[in-house]
Amino acid sequence: MFRKAFSDSVPVMAGYGTMGFAAGVLLSVNGGVSMPALWGAFSSGTFISGPLQYLFVDWVRTSASIGGVLFVVLCVNLRYSLYGLSLLDTFKGVGFWTRTYLIAGITDETYALEVACDLPPERKRRYCLFLTALDHMYWIIGVTAGALAGAALPVPSKGIDFAMTSLFLVILTEQCRERANRLPAIIGGVSVIAVFAVLALILGMDKARAEMLIPTMMLMVTVLLAFRRRMEKGAAR
Amino acid sequence: MMDGKTMYIVSLIVSVGILSWLIRALPFLLFGRGGEPPKVVSYVGRVLSPAAIAMLSVYCFAGYACARPPAENLWGLAEIASGILTVALQWKWRSPPLSIAAGTILYMMLVR
Repeated sequence: MFRKAFSDSVPVMAGYGTMGFAAGVLLSVNGGVSMPALWGAFSSGTFISGPLQYLFVDWVRTSASIGGVLFVVLCVNLRYSLYGLSLLDTFKGVGFWTRTYLIAGITDETYALEVACDLPPERKRRYCLFLTALDHMYWIIGVTAGALAGAALPVPSKGIDFAMTSLFLVILTEQCRERANRLPAIIGGVSVIAVFAVLALILGMDKARAEMLIPTMMLMVTVLLAFRRRMEKGAAR
Repeated sequence: MMDGKTMYIVSLIVSVGILSWLIRALPFLLFGRGGEPPKVVSYVGRVLSPAAIAMLSVYCFAGYACARPPAENLWGLAEIASGILTVALQWKWRSPPLSIAAGTILYMMLVR
């Protein structure tokens, strides 16, 4: 069981290792904290998420307000609550703490492998546990190693923050392969540009950028709800 | 003991961790004994993610626009070129580490 989980997880190791490493380097170079490796390990172990790990650097550097941070977390990760729907049966009959851990470990990659696996229930549960632990470990090691390397080596760091922009562009590109995601992505993009433009006129650019996410998310949800009928019709076609 | 910044980071990590867990646990808490989510909830859950990622991409670019005045910045040429490279590589090869590394390295070379 462990062997299957391990061999399935090798591509995840490559992905999490490199992306985590970059997030760790960014944390030590741009985060402005004294023990980046400690914070890298603690954060990557607690919330397992690529986008949040990169945003974490910004939050720490600017001491972002926690309320605003949680709002962003909700919007970025709400899709995970749908993943759980297709894992309800799989995780049934698992002990309380194990299930708590399996739930914490749901990510895009781990979820995809869990759903794809068609073992009998008893063996599948063990498979899921090994897989979750392995993926979790790759992520922690990636981020921590990156934070250590960033602190130890004189990495030429100017412009390295573009790694975060690239990560979002990569996720966006993957999402837009699916036709049904394109209109929501456009709505998100147009909303944020509109809010930024309006706020920049009132508050100036720097303040506008700092304040824009919450109003944008409100606008976005409103517009998405207004487009619901059309989008569901489009998806059914 | 802990200074203010340390306290802040700990509470940040803990609260993000708790919320992240709650989001993932929601279906288990609500529908663990059967039942279906309301349609509007699953709709928002499905479409919010691409919208939020698009928002965050623009947010990053807005950060570069704020950091330096546009004229000094060649109107974002370095950012746009590196962004296009990232998207193009991802579209063609579908390898996130490759696309991210290439985009970031190009950007680092351009802003030097």
